[in-house]
Amino acid sequence: MKDLIRFLAAWALVHESADEAWRAAVARGERLAPVSLDQGPEAIADGLAALVAEEKERLKRRLLEGDAGATGATDLGPALEALRFEVAELRGRIETLQASLDAVAARLEG
Amino acid sequence: MSGRGRTIAAVALRRAAAVAWRSGLGLRRGRARREIVARQLRLACEDLGPAFIKLGQLASVRPDVFPPETVFELERLQDRVPAVPGDEVRAIVAAELGAAPERVFATFDAEPVATASIAQVHGATLAADYRPVMGETLAAGTRLAVKVIRPGVEDAIAADLAAARRLAAWLERLPPAARWRPTALLAEFEATLASELDLRNEGRAADRFASDFADDPLVVVPRVVWRHTTRRVLTTAFIEGWRLSDLGEVERAGIDARGLAAHGAEVFMRQVLVLGRFHADLHPANLFVTPDGRICYLDFGITGRTTPAQRSAIAQVLVATAYADADRALRHSRALGLEVPDERVSAVRAAVDALMRRHLVGHGPADVRGFALGFLSTLADHRIAIPEGYGLLVKALVTVEGVARAIYPDIDIVEVARPFATRLVADQLTDPVRLQARVPAALTAALEALLD
Repeated sequence: MKDLIRFLAAWALVHESADEAWRAAVARGERLAPVSLDQGPEAIADGLAALVAEEKERLKRRLLEGDAGATGATDLGPALEALRFEVAELRGRIETLQASLDAVAARLEG
Repeated sequence: MSGRGRTIAAVALRRAAAVAWRSGLGLRRGRARREIVARQLRLACEDLGPAFIKLGQLASVRPDVFPPETVFELERLQDRVPAVPGDEVRAIVAAELGAAPERVFATFDAEPVATASIAQVHGATLAADYRPVMGETLAAGTRLAVKVIRPGVEDAIAADLAAARRLAAWLERLPPAARWRPTALLAEFEATLASELDLRNEGRAADRFASDFADDPLVVVPRVVWRHTTRRVLTTAFIEGWRLSDLGEVERAGIDARGLAAHGAEVFMRQVLVLGRFHADLHPANLFVTPDGRICYLDFGITGRTTPAQRSAIAQVLVATAYADADRALRHSRALGLEVPDERVSAVRAAVDALMRRHLVGHGPADVRGFALGFLSTLADHRIAIPEGYGLLVKALVTVEGVARAIYPDIDIVEVARPFATRLVADQLTDPVRLQARVPAALTAALEALLD
């Protein structure tokens, strides 16, 4: 059960911009007393949502305490590679253009 | 009618007469007749030369338009042409690069290493260091492959296409041929051909492919030397190796052929299903195996794309096919535009199920080509239109199998595809966006079921 809660917490963290229904469910769940089965499935889902939200906050605190710098560097890698490729491709386009211009110049001189 | 127009009309008439004769003046119907038509169509393309061979090759990747027998027959098109003399090639290189090949390169071979209907390839040596778009700097003295468009080929193709346009306009008026939309199809093929005749497009596709697989040590893509590349000349690093079509037992003995075949299949699936851009002219003559056991991809003249929605649906269909689940395969095929009329669903499902049992889960390695041919024929028999993306998927699977078998003849491609496609579908199912949309509702539904 703990693993399931953690998994859902991770999911909720990734989607910090959870929809209004989710937020409302969390709010309702936080107001509820310990969940009892006779309150029906909606109440159980609300209670579970509140549990997940609580775990999400804990997860967020743990991540904030970690090394934020390392995370930033990892995210930059693929973007930098993509940029390097785009620039190199642009250089290739200029070089082929230059080759064609050289050919035109040679024809004019010849 | 021009002389060339008369030649085209004569070939068309001769091959049409052969179809009529061999099909017992129309007495043979269905698949037998389609096979006869397909063979005569291939021979007509070979009779008519480069432009028609190219059109035939483009048609061979369109099972959405042509009957399966035609698609698979046109794959066999051969474009054997004599080499262009060295002097003519030197003149083209000089006109394109502004100096004689001997001044541009340290050395330039007069004899070609490969010839085809549109271009031929000459060996050369790099005169000065060059930094390509991807990978390490190529040192002076690096062996190069210089691909040169054959002289006069653009004019010949333009003349043939003009004649083909008139033929297409005439076919458009015949009801049986009109459903192929010959004029629109020809315009589509013309655009592809025009792109292929500009070698810079091929160079860009090669660079993109090299970037996509930069993290894969088993994939080699020749680096483009843009300094010596123009519309009609493409210069790349020369890769030593064996074409898959020439791979024999001796060559296979020195490499992990099975591992490489499986990896080659995964590389293709990654292109189609993950990256969404792929080498669309893949066949054993366009691939090399290097002596150190890597796969080298060549000829990026034709490339294709898949949208995220297509990729998701293709993955689902692939998993269903790999596990021989006809019902699931047809259900997910709807997302790719395959519409089976309600009254035919059970008949088609039964036929597909039988094909899967015969070709995919029987004894011995799976036979994807046999399955694909049977499947497309079933759709043709039921007069079910094949959407373009769907035809692409079926053809891609056959291609993957053909390439993998050229490396390791006993490979079971379904066995390779199963874990790859399953992983992919699992990734899609656990996609956070999808989970966000579905988990709350699923959870509520599950609890409702539990409490009821």
